[in-house]
Amino acid sequence: MKTLGTFLIASAALMAQGGLNPARLGAPPTDTWPTYNGDYSGRRYSTLSKINQSNINSLTLAWVYRANGAPGGGGGFGGRISATPVEVNGVLYFTMPDHTWAVDARTGREVWHYAWTSHGGDHIGNRGAGVYGNWLYFETPDCNLVSLNLKDGKERWHKPICDLDQYYFGSMAPLVVKNHIITGVSGDDLDRPGYIESHDPETGDLQWRWYTVPQKMGDAGSESWPSEEAMKHGGGMTWLTPTYDPELNMIYVPTGNPQPVIAGKARPGANLFTASVVALNPDTGKMQWYFQSSPHDTHDWDATQTPVLFDGEINGQKRKLVAQASRNGYFFVLDRATGKNLASAEYVKINWSKGVDAKGSPIPNPAKEPQLDGALVSPNQGGGTNWPPPTYDPDTGLFYVSASRAFSVYYIYDPSDKPEGWGGNDRGGWGETMIQAIDYKTGKVKWSHKWEDGGRSGLLSTAGKLLFAGDGSGNLVALDPANGNPLWHANLGSSVTNGPITYELDGTQYLVVAAGDTLFGFAMLR
Amino acid sequence: MRYGIFVAALLVAPAVGVAQPPAGASEALEKVCGACHSVETVTGQRRTRAEWQESINAMVARGAEGTDAEFALILDYLTTQYGPTAAPAAPAAGRGGRGPAFSPGPADKQVVDEAAANRGRKVYAAECITCHGTHARGSERGADLVRSEIVLHDRYGSTLGPFLKKGHPTQTTPAAQLTGAQIVDLSHTIHQEVYNTLRAALQIQNVVTGDPQAGAAYFNGAGKCSTCHSAAGDMAHIASRMDAPELQQRFLFPGGRGGGRGRGGAATAAKPVMVTVTPASSAAIAGSAITGTLVHIDDFNVALRDGAGEYHSFKRTPALKVVKSDPAQAHHELLDQYTDRNIHDIVAYLETMK
Repeated sequence: MKTLGTFLIASAALMAQGGLNPARLGAPPTDTWPTYNGDYSGRRYSTLSKINQSNINSLTLAWVYRANGAPGGGGGFGGRISATPVEVNGVLYFTMPDHTWAVDARTGREVWHYAWTSHGGDHIGNRGAGVYGNWLYFETPDCNLVSLNLKDGKERWHKPICDLDQYYFGSMAPLVVKNHIITGVSGDDLDRPGYIESHDPETGDLQWRWYTVPQKMGDAGSESWPSEEAMKHGGGMTWLTPTYDPELNMIYVPTGNPQPVIAGKARPGANLFTASVVALNPDTGKMQWYFQSSPHDTHDWDATQTPVLFDGEINGQKRKLVAQASRNGYFFVLDRATGKNLASAEYVKINWSKGVDAKGSPIPNPAKEPQLDGALVSPNQGGGTNWPPPTYDPDTGLFYVSASRAFSVYYIYDPSDKPEGWGGNDRGGWGETMIQAIDYKTGKVKWSHKWEDGGRSGLLSTAGKLLFAGDGSGNLVALDPANGNPLWHANLGSSVTNGPITYELDGTQYLVVAAGDTLFGFAMLR
Repeated sequence: MRYGIFVAALLVAPAVGVAQPPAGASEALEKVCGACHSVETVTGQRRTRAEWQESINAMVARGAEGTDAEFALILDYLTTQYGPTAAPAAPAAGRGGRGPAFSPGPADKQVVDEAAANRGRKVYAAECITCHGTHARGSERGADLVRSEIVLHDRYGSTLGPFLKKGHPTQTTPAAQLTGAQIVDLSHTIHQEVYNTLRAALQIQNVVTGDPQAGAAYFNGAGKCSTCHSAAGDMAHIASRMDAPELQQRFLFPGGRGGGRGRGGAATAAKPVMVTVTPASSAAIAGSAITGTLVHIDDFNVALRDGAGEYHSFKRTPALKVVKSDPAQAHHELLDQYTDRNIHDIVAYLETMK
């Protein structure tokens, strides 16, 4: 109680200083987009409706911000903005590996830019920043959590969150829950254990760490591994920002694939708690329940897709739900208080599973594990979907996901008894991509909109009866969430590379989306 | 004024002898590769053509999307600009800079000296192999060195040396017997074993495991391959034009880039997707269907190049009829029908066509 009281007083003080009141993190985003998913639920649904089906053709480009064109942006070949920006008090904050920008949310003008001097690490992408009070937090590829002052981008401190020598790297957008800065780790090159941490917002000190794989025989989950050595090198990286239910006080952490990635001969068993959705207490890091999306994965199908929280009715019973369209091609609905599985269904046609077990987890077909002479598998390594965020629209009751139906051949390269690292891989492929609209009550696909030319973007739904997505030709497209019909589009010259966001300032609703190294601000200016 | 800028640009073009990037290549790299990761991830590395091909194959497998032409451009570009002899990746200019290394792991990671690693292998065989195993992956008697944090923190013997000098629990001979040079050599050997577990370190082993007669039966029967192909015609000597992994990839994914270690150039290019567009009867070019090679299609526009090489572009409306024709459609449909047994049998059959 004392803690809560102190926290509320602290919140009021933070509010007074013009930073982000953490209480806003729990509310539907309107004039802010204060966290990676807009709010804690991961729905990426906005209650704003000034931009709507009837006026979408009046939506106009308001501004453009080219990150690489900016001084110090790196120059030459651009990175890609895969971050979802956060918007607080009229300023957008977004990241690329080693870089954070603040730009005016009304005009796209740069407020400040911060560049980190890197010591290496995989620069594949950065998903964004977290904000607490007057402070911003982001992860660097070389394993640091950096805290900046919101107003001028000056560094306050940085703290190590992983060991670069073990080929870990940072890419996740930190999650702010009460006085916890939750950070995850990335990396699938060497065989290391995944974990998720909580840090003190003021000092950056470690509050707790939870390993996604058991650390000694006898621990929960160790029965699903052959040895301590295997599980302590068993992977399960925490690439993606969790979601949070304040009432249940649980964060929902999606975990990565087991390691060694493709060649799993030396890790027989389900390999808990990799490729799972795990509920943790954010104050202690203690596990509440788990559900495994891909037992004994051998296809690089992590389960690091957003666990989306919403309330619904299943079989006449009202429930608090969590739903995930997982990389392995399955859509799962669980009771988010208990982890009990309520629905498991393929959202794209797949060929690797023998059905689901009593707990709702898929049963992998051993014949479709990677083989020396190759096994034709669908989906491919890219998965039925990947990290780009899905959306749930409470007005239609549909869960939308950028999906892919693709084939490739999975090979074992290292036939030894103890393959390590990448002792295999997949190769080649053919596929097609689409938006799938899934009825959460049954897991059935209600409608499907196939893209002509590929495309896999983050999604956003709004009360304006609009679903925003990117196709493979550089178009930002507004679809009718009821049936998938395209209503509006604008070509950005490069495919959408993040999840679109929306917010309202001074009575104007904005829509912001990244394509390549450029951020585009659309608005209803009339 | 605009003209002046153009002339100036010509004047500052690099001198003859500097490998020029192919036109449009950097744009293709940005479009295809930049869609999923920063391009520095690629340009921070130095690889041979074969290694770049392998990287591209791996990326296609992970979902990279582009046309054949784009992938060919990217391969040429990476080979000419980022080959083994290219200048080391330089830190980009600008405030703070981005640092030189964009590949996985630390920027100051140990660079393995092949000769030292070979010398170290002899030390390893004499002193370490009994407990730590052939590839340093450990045994019941000794730890896995590839996964050892002492090894991963080591640079040229910096942590390995002190550790060995101190002596470790099961060491039977005094560690001091290893010279400083031997420890450095050993460090190269063990780091090499670590790097051998990274992506693209290994290759496909053997895909010729099927029954050629069953493959022939499938080719002429259920697979209906003989509808378009014949052993004596277009498929003649196909196995001498590409290796077995490429054969397997080619019939599964024609037009794909999964070509394994192909011998280059000789393989037939995939036929392009064709499209026929029929404008509405009220349009200016009423009713006259235009057929050509598909250049671009999305939900809103379609573009093609006709037989005379003319480019045509259309806005897609309900009245505009668009019919795509993919010559590889039958191959795509087979993906839902093949068993892995069928696939291995076909490879074995194609391998007989030397």
